[in-house]
Amino acid sequence: MTASRLQLPVVDKEQRLIEIRREAEDRGRIDSRGIRPAGAPFPRASVETGYYGIPLLKRPSWTWEIPLYFFVGGAAGASAVIGAIASYTGADRRLVRHARWIAAAGSVLSPALLISDLGRPSRFLNMLRVFKAQSPMSVGVWTLLGFSGGSVAAAFAGSMRERYGESLPIRILENAGEAASLLFGLPFSNYTGVLIGATAIPAWNENAGELPIHFGMSGLAASVGLLELMGHRRSRALQMLGLGAAVFECWEGWRLESRKSSAPEPLQHGSSGGIIRAGGILSGPLPLALRSASMLSGGNSTALRKWAAISAIAGSLLTRIGWIHAGHVSAQDWREPLRIRE
Amino acid sequence: MAENHPVGFQWVMEARERGAKIIHVDPRFTRTSAMADIWVPLRAGSDILFLGALVNYVLTNNKEFREYVVRYTNAPTILRDDFKDTEDLDGLFSGWDAEQKKYDPGTWLYRSAPRKDGREFPGHAEAGGGHGKDRGGEAQEVTNFDWDFSMEDPQCVFQVLKRHFSRYTPEMVEGYCGVPKDVFLKTAEAFTSASGPEKTAAICYAVGWTQHSKGVQIIRTAAILQLLLGNIGRPGGGILALRGHASIQGSTDVSTLYDIFPGYLPMPFFGADSHKLKEYIKKHRVRIGLWSNFDAYIISLLKAYYGDAATKDNDFGFNWLPRVTGDHSHYGYWLDMQDGKMEGLFVMGQNPAVGAANGRLERTALSKLKWLVVRDMVETETASFWLDSPEVKRGELVPEKIATEVFLFPAAGTAEKSGTFTNTQRLLQYRNKAVEAPGDSRNETWFMYHLGRRIKEKAKRNPAPKNAGLNALTWDYPVEGEHREPRVEDVLKEINGWTVSDRKQLPHIQNLKNDGSTACGAWIYCGVFPEANRNRANERAPKDLLGHGWGFSWPNDCRIIYNRASARPDGTPWSERKKLVWWDKDKKEWTGLDNPDYKKDLAPDTPDNLDSGVGVTGLGGARPFTLHSDGVGWLYVASGLKDGPLPTHYEPLESVVKNPLYAQQNDPAAQKKERPDNPYAESFGDPRYPYVLTTYRLTEQHTAGGMTRTLSHLAELQPELFTEVSPELADEIGLEHGGWARISTARATIEARVLVTRRMRPLWINGERIHQVGLPYHWGYKGKAKGDVVNDLLAISEEPNVRIMETKALMCSVAPGRRACGTGGSPVPSEQDQDSLTAPDFVRAEQAKPPVPHGSGRLTWL
Amino acid sequence: MAVTAFLTDSTLCIGCKACEVACKEWNGVSEDGLDWSGFSYDNTGAVGHSTWRHVKFVENAPEPGFGGNAAELNSWSFSSDVCKHCENAGCLEACPTGAIVRTEFGGVFVQPDICNGCGYCVVACPFGVVERNPDDGRAFKCTFCYDRQKVGLKPACAKACPTESIKFGEIETLRADARARVEELQQRGMDDANLYDPTETSVGGTHAMFIVRGDARAYNLPPKPEVPTIYLKKAWTASAIGAAVLLGGTLAAFLAERPRSRR
Ligand SMILES: Nc1nc2c(c(=O)[nH]1)N[C@H]1C(S)=C(S)[C@@H](COP(=O)(O)OP(=O)(O)OC[C@H]3O[C@@H](n4cnc5c(=O)[nH]c(N)nc54)[C@H](O)[C@@H]3O)O[C@H]1N2
Ligand SMILES: Nc1nc2c(c(=O)[nH]1)N[C@H]1C(S)=C(S)[C@@H](COP(=O)(O)OP(=O)(O)OC[C@H]3O[C@@H](n4cnc5c(=O)[nH]c(N)nc54)[C@H](O)[C@@H]3O)O[C@H]1N2
Ligand code: SF4
Ligand code: SF4
Ligand code: SF4
Ligand code: SF4
Ligand code: SF4
Ligand SMILES: [Mo]
Repeated sequence: MTASRLQLPVVDKEQRLIEIRREAEDRGRIDSRGIRPAGAPFPRASVETGYYGIPLLKRPSWTWEIPLYFFVGGAAGASAVIGAIASYTGADRRLVRHARWIAAAGSVLSPALLISDLGRPSRFLNMLRVFKAQSPMSVGVWTLLGFSGGSVAAAFAGSMRERYGESLPIRILENAGEAASLLFGLPFSNYTGVLIGATAIPAWNENAGELPIHFGMSGLAASVGLLELMGHRRSRALQMLGLGAAVFECWEGWRLESRKSSAPEPLQHGSSGGIIRAGGILSGPLPLALRSASMLSGGNSTALRKWAAISAIAGSLLTRIGWIHAGHVSAQDWREPLRIRE
Repeated sequence: MAENHPVGFQWVMEARERGAKIIHVDPRFTRTSAMADIWVPLRAGSDILFLGALVNYVLTNNKEFREYVVRYTNAPTILRDDFKDTEDLDGLFSGWDAEQKKYDPGTWLYRSAPRKDGREFPGHAEAGGGHGKDRGGEAQEVTNFDWDFSMEDPQCVFQVLKRHFSRYTPEMVEGYCGVPKDVFLKTAEAFTSASGPEKTAAICYAVGWTQHSKGVQIIRTAAILQLLLGNIGRPGGGILALRGHASIQGSTDVSTLYDIFPGYLPMPFFGADSHKLKEYIKKHRVRIGLWSNFDAYIISLLKAYYGDAATKDNDFGFNWLPRVTGDHSHYGYWLDMQDGKMEGLFVMGQNPAVGAANGRLERTALSKLKWLVVRDMVETETASFWLDSPEVKRGELVPEKIATEVFLFPAAGTAEKSGTFTNTQRLLQYRNKAVEAPGDSRNETWFMYHLGRRIKEKAKRNPAPKNAGLNALTWDYPVEGEHREPRVEDVLKEINGWTVSDRKQLPHIQNLKNDGSTACGAWIYCGVFPEANRNRANERAPKDLLGHGWGFSWPNDCRIIYNRASARPDGTPWSERKKLVWWDKDKKEWTGLDNPDYKKDLAPDTPDNLDSGVGVTGLGGARPFTLHSDGVGWLYVASGLKDGPLPTHYEPLESVVKNPLYAQQNDPAAQKKERPDNPYAESFGDPRYPYVLTTYRLTEQHTAGGMTRTLSHLAELQPELFTEVSPELADEIGLEHGGWARISTARATIEARVLVTRRMRPLWINGERIHQVGLPYHWGYKGKAKGDVVNDLLAISEEPNVRIMETKALMCSVAPGRRACGTGGSPVPSEQDQDSLTAPDFVRAEQAKPPVPHGSGRLTWL
Repeated sequence: MAVTAFLTDSTLCIGCKACEVACKEWNGVSEDGLDWSGFSYDNTGAVGHSTWRHVKFVENAPEPGFGGNAAELNSWSFSSDVCKHCENAGCLEACPTGAIVRTEFGGVFVQPDICNGCGYCVVACPFGVVERNPDDGRAFKCTFCYDRQKVGLKPACAKACPTESIKFGEIETLRADARARVEELQQRGMDDANLYDPTETSVGGTHAMFIVRGDARAYNLPPKPEVPTIYLKKAWTASAIGAAVLLGGTLAAFLAERPRSRR
């Protein structure tokens, strides 16, 4: 019969483990290095790690059309405003015509982009079943509709008038179109800020109070830039607007950079932070410098203004891309909605 | 149980909500452990040690339910003086024949109990076949033995039991199961304190206990524990086998096993059994208890088989019955197949290329067949072994050279056919077809019926003597519908049984006759179809807590078997709280909440008459275990088991430790079937394979995966094979969570993703840290979710009594990284394993032979 | 018509995923992908367009571990997640087509024939539930088994749950049950049992409440979910300011230019 004698654990072989156990027994917690297999710490579900770090929120399902739509809409809306005001204040008719054309082109491109982004493009008209004040997208679509109608009408009537001369119906159409385009252009230029601000995505909703202004100014800068590229590089009004927008964007950039909260992380870091920062520089300091230089160089250098225009347009586009991208990144951040801070 | 029987587990949860304590004993922390009050992680394969220590705890602390034990178990029975225990012979019982590697159970008998027949009975002991009725009657007459109701006699079962388990101590459990002493004592305390007249405790088990080289003995240990605590035959007690496939219980009742007929009647053995019905009956009938009507059961079965052709003069066709000629269990015939001894095979509702041990051998053996019929709902790995198997990918099998003709038949699924399921609690439930099977899919009944019909037509044209049985077989089921499907209810009617003369349904087992006037397909099911228009399996009106009125539970719709044990010897309930059946003095009959499984009018004070009584009456009024010839529960099994009358701790066939109790390392009677294509590691401490490997199921997948890996809604839930390892092991060998690991045994190497989890934990075994590695086994090379076949790692082995393989405890090695050849199959052995693997040689040799001409095995009548 | 709700009790959940599968079967939800995650036994990760019921596996154990025979140190709890059917539902408010409606049972239902796939609900849900199916384009989430409830049936998930971890019933009754249950659990020694039903935030309570143990954040349940409409006021104000600045600025710029251009 084999007698069975129990042995004590082979202490030296298990020294590290024993230490950990002793520590745990003595102090009720463990600070020593412990067991770290390759790949550790492996995913856990806890108050520190969330649910295996799986993001709570869903990423926006929007594709490339949407930042472009934001850009186009912003520029078009601001252009409509510029066109209308220029027309009312009796500014250069060419400027008015060009502004109207930008607005009209934008108002055609915008729905196209929107429809192309829809999961079911064939059902775009379903948007028009209802008007929902609490849904920025619904408000936005109706705004877009009014804006498109107005802008296209104004541009169309304007060109008719130029080709066939004045007539009452054309005048009415033109004036009404212009008025509508101004009226809807104002919100259309910046409602996209509301659209993303009033969502569950932390990086967006934390900036809900600034985004519309930011987007509106960015749109204005783009609009000014486009008009300047179309030749209006001697317009002082545009120069002033461009300067104003650039100053605002400088401030906005400073605001974003200096904010301290875990939420805007994607606005400051990573690729989305980089894009936003690049967009900010191209929208703010750079055009500001170029415009100032052009003014200081006495004769309103058109070359410098051309570069300022290009910079502002690129900045505006990058800004929208950056913000949408930041939304994606923010949605992936499992910590934020769970309020888990490192 | 939460993992694999989630629907049944709802009742465990309900019990928990009402205050029951749940103890879960499992090497891994599973979904069940998560619900349990106590989780006991133990080393896989050490259950007898653990349970034995519980038995010892009961005995040394006098926690047994004394009166129950004295009256309702064989504890007082005195054993022969020449019986020697494993404690005396270092791991062997007396009677071991080292040459023939089997026991002569003669010395295990009760004192004064003579052998029924002077001869030895090789019969079932020879070629497996532990499934049928217990062989108590075969080996001994129960009369005339001695007992000592004070249980003091040193040779009485109670004392032998005490000595046998005396070394199964908490310290031993701590040292060799890896269960800390305090956890063990907490468990023991919780379990024993939940037993007694006022309380009962139940044990549920499934294949974590059965699939060991000593599985039957593990369950025997649990039975001993439950008998000592008085937990059998009482509400809330019992040992509940949580069975596997739907109606797997039905498939043993109305049997698909090779060694029994329906109702657990033993199949006659060629050579060992007599060719005379009378002799066969004499051998298997027991004078006392329910088996005393053995003759009625077998003769009624023969009448059901052969109808009018079965007459008294021709022994009711007894000689037409096929004989067992060897080990025809799954592994028995599979090895024969591998050795080229089989021509053809039907595989119906099984997927052995994935589900059976030693996958490579399973698959290569298929290539030795002339024909293979697979009936399934999907193309399984078994059906496509010749095209997609790892052997083909490795070049061991070449499709062009495989002569096996494979017929794949589309089978109807469960919802597409009517019939009964028999569940774990022996409850038959009938269900109707919900939808028609699509396309050419047909159900099993249709297939078997028409196959049989065609074979019979062939046989009719050839009246050779070998066809006499076929010609005599009744095969007259009425068919219906477009596809001429047999009506399943008519089959059930035949299983229930009828009188031959006027085909009246039999209402009760007692109506079965031994004179050929009744026919019955399975005696235990008698009563399920008591009248021509009453299918009790299809009844759905539960009347009481036990569910009478919903389905039919055999025997006789009794829900808790041996329920007479719920009353004291004097017939009154042990307690008001736990009453079940009792003797109604006024009506002079047994009554209660369940159908008494006792003779209704057998008064408790009826004295037993074991000497000359017959049937249940001979047991007297207070011997509840009516299937046993002495009417009591068996703590000690004098005959019927091939590996000893008492459970003994043996190590798994492959183990990381040496048996701490005995020089005898393994269950001596277990069959290793060791051969070049089924190699083993050293039986313990093989340095090449330092870890304990265990395999199991996941809720999300089902067995070999044919029904789950093919469906996206299930496949996606566990889409890939993974191995569960502890952080400590991962640390030791550099496994990366989410990465890959190679797992090797002496048979093969497979790869799996690594899931490092605290739910696996290393155990201290005798001062050494032992790691356990877990592998679910559901994947294969077909379907949506694919993965290596875990069973390639396993060895073919056979538990001596029921011939199950050891899937739960073996030895492996683990290394980081992927195996040599790509994905989706089993491996070319890594260099490390090369020396232990000789299999490809014989495969190549086989391939070198000229192929059998294609189609030579064609079955023209199909 | 009774206003109904779910109460999912993780102390009764055995992680069998029957609810997840039953939901998929009943609603014909598409495959979620055959990717193995390594996150305990959770391979579907979260609710989304292809998983409307989702069982979470919160596997937690102190780290580093003790090795050896320390039996007690594990916790593994399961919780079946679903659309919260918020009282103030971000998705419903945001949907520009009116595809998302509140049903007579109080559930939030996406009408699949109206949704145009704009994806706005996706970013408006504070629980990350609704999601656009990239193949189909439309947004999908739990329907609260509107079709079943209509004909008086329990939702498929609740019906399939073997342990009644998912309770379904009239909302106020369930709220009361939930509170009683939490109390009972605490009395049974589970001090950390608590009810998750954000009534204090702007979401205003849900039609899918959860009983969990410990901090709900381990189950990916946000401590302070807010319906995004609360940002509207701020944002529209900013929009108005922006518009005013734009209008005023442009006017000023051109008016300032006028005298000079006349010169
Ligand atoms: N979802 C699902 N349900 C099923 C099945 C399925 O495949 N999937 N299969 C059905 C079938 S056919 C069957 S037979 C049953 C089987 O049901 P179970 O017996 O529950 O099946 P397993 O998961 O194989 O094994 C059970 C447990 O035994 C543990 N174990 C391993 N070795 C040992 C040991 O030595 N001692 C002890 N005490 N435990 C050990 C394993 O860790 C595992 O958790 O389930 C049935 N139900
Ligand atoms: N390593 C390891 N191996 C094991 C086990 C283990 O725990 N570990 N467990 C073992 C156990 S307990 C079991 S039960 C086996 C299971 O192993 P198998 O029985 O080989 O595997 P299943 O996948 O259940 O095979 C059933 C097949 O029947 C088909 N089927 C379903 N319904 C019908 C029908 O009505 N008619 C027909 N003709 N076909 C149908 C299914 O599609 C499926 O392919 O595996 C064993 N193997
Ligand atoms: S699969 Fe069927 S038999 Fe198995 S637990 Fe679920 S309901 Fe029961
Ligand atoms: S959880 Fe999300 S999807 Fe569900 S109702 Fe609330 S906001 Fe809508
Ligand atoms: S995706 Fe569909 S449901 Fe969601 S907001 Fe848009 S239209 Fe409404
Ligand atoms: S209520 Fe219906 S749709 Fe929602 S999760 Fe449950 S089953 Fe799925
Ligand atoms: S069905 Fe019930 S028990 Fe199963 S996972 Fe779902 S909630 Fe949990
Ligand atoms: Mo099984």
